Amino acid sequence: MTNIDAKILQRAADALRDARDTVTVCAPVRDLLGDAAPEDAYAVQELNTGRWISDGRRVVGRKIGLTSVAIQKQLGVDQPDYGMLYADMALADGEEIALDRLIQPKVEGEIAFYLGGDLDGDALTSADVMAAVDYAVAAVEVVDSRVQDWDIRLLDTIADNASSGVYVLGSQPRDLKGLDLRLCGMVMEHKGEPVSVGAGAACLGNPLTATLWLARKMVAVGRPLKKGDLVLSGALGPMVTVEPGAAYQCRISGLGSVHVNFSG
Amino acid sequence: MIDIEKTALAVDEAARSATAIPQFSSSMDITVDEAYQVQALSLEQRYKRGERQIGIKMGLTSRAKMVQVGVDEVIWGRLTDAMLVDDGGEIDIANYVHPRAEPEIAFLMKKSLSGLVSPAQALAAVEAIAPAIEIIDSRYQNFKFSLADVVADNSSSSGFVMGPWARPDTDTSNLGVVFEFDGRPVQIGSTAAILGNPARSLAAGSRMLGAQGLSVEAGWIVMAGGVTAAEALRPGVHVSNTVENLGRVGFTVRS
Repeated sequence: MTNIDAKILQRAADALRDARDTVTVCAPVRDLLGDAAPEDAYAVQELNTGRWISDGRRVVGRKIGLTSVAIQKQLGVDQPDYGMLYADMALADGEEIALDRLIQPKVEGEIAFYLGGDLDGDALTSADVMAAVDYAVAAVEVVDSRVQDWDIRLLDTIADNASSGVYVLGSQPRDLKGLDLRLCGMVMEHKGEPVSVGAGAACLGNPLTATLWLARKMVAVGRPLKKGDLVLSGALGPMVTVEPGAAYQCRISGLGSVHVNFSG
Repeated sequence: MIDIEKTALAVDEAARSATAIPQFSSSMDITVDEAYQVQALSLEQRYKRGERQIGIKMGLTSRAKMVQVGVDEVIWGRLTDAMLVDDGGEIDIANYVHPRAEPEIAFLMKKSLSGLVSPAQALAAVEAIAPAIEIIDSRYQNFKFSLADVVADNSSSSGFVMGPWARPDTDTSNLGVVFEFDGRPVQIGSTAAILGNPARSLAAGSRMLGAQGLSVEAGWIVMAGGVTAAEALRPGVHVSNTVENLGRVGFTVRS
């Protein structure tokens, strides 16, 4: 439970939701929340989750954020965070993304997992996670922040649905067997030049480790991962600011490629 | 005009005695062409002492490093047998000025290469591919230099370590790289950082040596270039590089 006044939590949630609806920025919500805890910021996120679900948005999974040690150090935290994925955020490989629905988008290459089983109950293990994954697929997450100039701290990004935007899945789903998710290389190219490179280990050491963190966290907060959920497990390389009209191609070793095209 | 011979002797002595010297470019005009002459002549001093050239290293192969140094061309330097560190071996930090290490991959040449070749033609001359680590060390104070300075200083080359050899048809265009100090990742990347594909670095080496009337010789090692930023070495640290599909290579700095 949160110690922050419910009216303040609601004001923060409204500011972020209005910014998203009108495709404009708002001031950092940490200014409203003061010395709140991460749980308070999740309470803000949850207010909008409830509102959006009642508005008819369909939850299709979760995203994990802050999975890189460098980003965690930058924000002074030692944990990742999560946000909700909705069906209206999903785009297909190569589909053009209208820039006018995003505020200040950035792209990052990730591995997505589609769950063929529930991840519920106490004391989940990595074996449970591997058994629940139906397939892994290359993905590009287009992150976005409703907070002006991406001036975010931990509370801002948690409250802002983990700075989620939209996402694009590749089209070569793969069984986990035969994949090396720690060592798989990732390269994102723009105009034939690598603009972001990395490997699976950049995501909390292994994207499956990040997913185990998420699965446990979702049980703890009462929204356990279910069969049919998609998990965007976290960036494998630095994020890249989107240029209008740009076409990004992301390749992940063993998982094929994803193409992300933006309107001019 | 710079005195090529005097400059070559100065950089050779700095490397030999592990002593930092001021940049040449701060006191004289030196072109990149002249810098390659200095490099060749300074390496002659090592050959006179019994060292033997066994390959080349490519440098500034990532867009980030080119932007950092303000250039749009890669550079190369010479590798000698005295620079080779055994996989699993030890180095003594006293033999270096301010050494850093970076993860790379190495090509072993089956045939010689010179002049303009496509990356595919360059790969056809490769015998085997290995995970590798380069130990770089600038002989200049504070690791600061112009493009000509670094070329004159053998492109900061000072040591290299190679792991097990893999088949030459291994696709190296996007292999994940985890570079660790004492078992903890310090840099993570992909071989795609090397000019988008390390084969392009090998082709660039052929072109650049060809332009000076030289060849990348059969039996030589070609260090393709850094995959990530370099990390400063310290006494006692164990350094390892694990490359997807290629395996692992490592060395220790003596305490």
